[in-house]
Amino acid sequence: MSRTIAVVFPHWEKDHGRFGEHHSFRSFEPIVRRISEICAVVEVVEAGTVVMAAKGPSRYFGGDANVAHTLSDACDNKEDVVGVGIADSRFAAIAAARLAASRKSPCVISSSITTEFIDALPVQALSEINNIDVGTVDLLLRLGLVRCGDVRHLGEAALIDRFGLTGHHIFQLVSAQEIYGFSLDAPPSDFSCVYESDTPLVSVSHVVEASHCTFEEMMHRIDASGQQCVRVLIHCETDHGESMSRIWGESRGFTTSALAQRLSYQLDGWFVHCGDDLDAPTSGIVRVCMTPVECREALATQAVLWGGNEENTERAARAVAQMCAIDDCVRVTVPQWEGGRDITTAYSQVLAHTVDITQSQHSAVRVGATKNHTEKWSGSLPVPWPAWVASQPIDINIVDADQHHVGVTGRHELTSTPVSVEMGRLHYHIEKVGGPWPVEERWWDPRRARRHVRAQLLVRNAQGATRVFLVVLENNVWKLIARYD
Amino acid sequence: MAPQRTFELHGIALTGVHQHGVHTGAELAERLTQHQGSQYGPLPVGSALSELFPSGGLERGHIYGCRGDASLSLLCALIARATQAGSWVATINLFSLGLMSAREHGVALQRLLCVDAGTQSTTWTQVVGACVDGLDVVVVYAPQCSLHDARRIEARLKTHGSVLIIVGDPGVFSPAVVLSSHTTRWEFSTHASHRDVDVVATGRRVHNRRQCTLSFPAHSQHMEHVNI
Repeated sequence: MSRTIAVVFPHWEKDHGRFGEHHSFRSFEPIVRRISEICAVVEVVEAGTVVMAAKGPSRYFGGDANVAHTLSDACDNKEDVVGVGIADSRFAAIAAARLAASRKSPCVISSSITTEFIDALPVQALSEINNIDVGTVDLLLRLGLVRCGDVRHLGEAALIDRFGLTGHHIFQLVSAQEIYGFSLDAPPSDFSCVYESDTPLVSVSHVVEASHCTFEEMMHRIDASGQQCVRVLIHCETDHGESMSRIWGESRGFTTSALAQRLSYQLDGWFVHCGDDLDAPTSGIVRVCMTPVECREALATQAVLWGGNEENTERAARAVAQMCAIDDCVRVTVPQWEGGRDITTAYSQVLAHTVDITQSQHSAVRVGATKNHTEKWSGSLPVPWPAWVASQPIDINIVDADQHHVGVTGRHELTSTPVSVEMGRLHYHIEKVGGPWPVEERWWDPRRARRHVRAQLLVRNAQGATRVFLVVLENNVWKLIARYD
Repeated sequence: MAPQRTFELHGIALTGVHQHGVHTGAELAERLTQHQGSQYGPLPVGSALSELFPSGGLERGHIYGCRGDASLSLLCALIARATQAGSWVATINLFSLGLMSAREHGVALQRLLCVDAGTQSTTWTQVVGACVDGLDVVVVYAPQCSLHDARRIEARLKTHGSVLIIVGDPGVFSPAVVLSSHTTRWEFSTHASHRDVDVVATGRRVHNRRQCTLSFPAHSQHMEHVNI
């Protein structure tokens, strides 16, 4: 048995999960960083749940109760409900933390009463806390086993006899044992791998992309030994020797893309939330080390009959892998919804091999398909949207009848009536003008403030064909940013 | 003896077609309906566009051209229904496609891959080959390969039942159907709000020149079918 601390935000998914998993993890990151100031290595089980070993911090702060209060104060952000629980196993600690969240004070379960505490828990806790199948829990309920204590009294043999491997897990949980799926023949640290870069990498996407091959190879080695990794320690170091470690868990087993995602969450938090942090990185990343701390025998997953992974999606995933293998210069990306009023940044492109495209639910959230887009950003363009968006804005000049440059006054009015657009050697006659529409972004921050004016032009070329241009005036230079093709 | 039935398909009465065990128009129409309903039938397109295609959708294994001053809007309208029905689409070297516009047309962006295949012709051919193997619809812009490679890609399309759409100049490829778009009218009061686009389908897979008028945004689409 090992003393474990759990910090749980019971409503985190509900409050922060509506913008997708990525946002949920990213907003959780500052809290994890505050916890890791108290305890060196923490494990993020999921967004809103953090688990760590109690031994070190408890001795440092002078007892379980002290460390629980310190953590509770550190995590209290006045908005989210938080609970800190300490008990003899992960399962008991998380249950205690949930109890603490409802009581609004930390809950420390001493070793002598951990068994009684677990015995009194309802069996639904098995599925809510530890991913035991809901069907199995339902069956236990129908058998009249309401409390975890009832299940423990059945005995390990009876549970294994009825539920197999799951029965073994259930018994370990209810008898406060830690679940370790280690295989004796292959110590998990054997799989650890290190990515080292000669030049410090300062962008999250560069680190993820550069280290991808190393981790893919590690996953292949784990796969080849018939195992799957469920907990992994990611350790990053910068050129100046600053380091950051974190353990990530995934009860369904990590895939390469899931690992890449966790690495990007970890680095995102370190790079982005570094405003007045004392241990904020001062240089780029030069070393990333991944150590699988828990591997278990790979469990076969049965595809569901309806609504599971479609054949088309599986084929597309294979095509992505095939394309990435052709050449280094081939980049396969998928769109990710970012929002905003700027058409060029409303969607960003993320590398396809760093997201799991076979998860249709996640993909739909990623592209914002689940959102209600009827409410628009203030200052966003009127519909329809332009179908052609310039990857690099094109310099143009807009002139009036006297061939003078047309500008915009401080009152957002055109200085004169525009007559034609000059784009290199091409000339277009302006028939109608929509706008100008002013956009002021981040006016409160002088470094990132941006001020520009947008306008729509209905133009006619020498052959008499009409087109609509979307142009922008910034620093007194007109640029063509989109065309309604 | 099978009863003689008359059947109309897209307004054309089918009679006396002799083709591989098909003796009547009714039998041909039934066979076409079966084909459309099967997994290997044509990929669905919006109701306004379906009349442009003899089989009512994008026929698998064929190359389509998409050009004119509304080519990208037309492309989005073409692929929207297919992506909604579960088909995956890859755009190769088409960096300027407006994704907000694509979503507006109903394209399911979760099934869209954007591929940067670089500038080398050999890489481009391999990437298109991989896409054709795994995806239902492949959209390319400015194809850059030899005539020999183009023939190989065409053969692969036929084998895997994918659809290749070429935006702009088809280069060495010879599309079965070319859809040319031309904006006839823009409604522009305070801003550009609405437009009418004439789409003409020509090519060896279209018996007569087919033409329709689309309205973008698509809420008030109407359609006229003209055989010239």
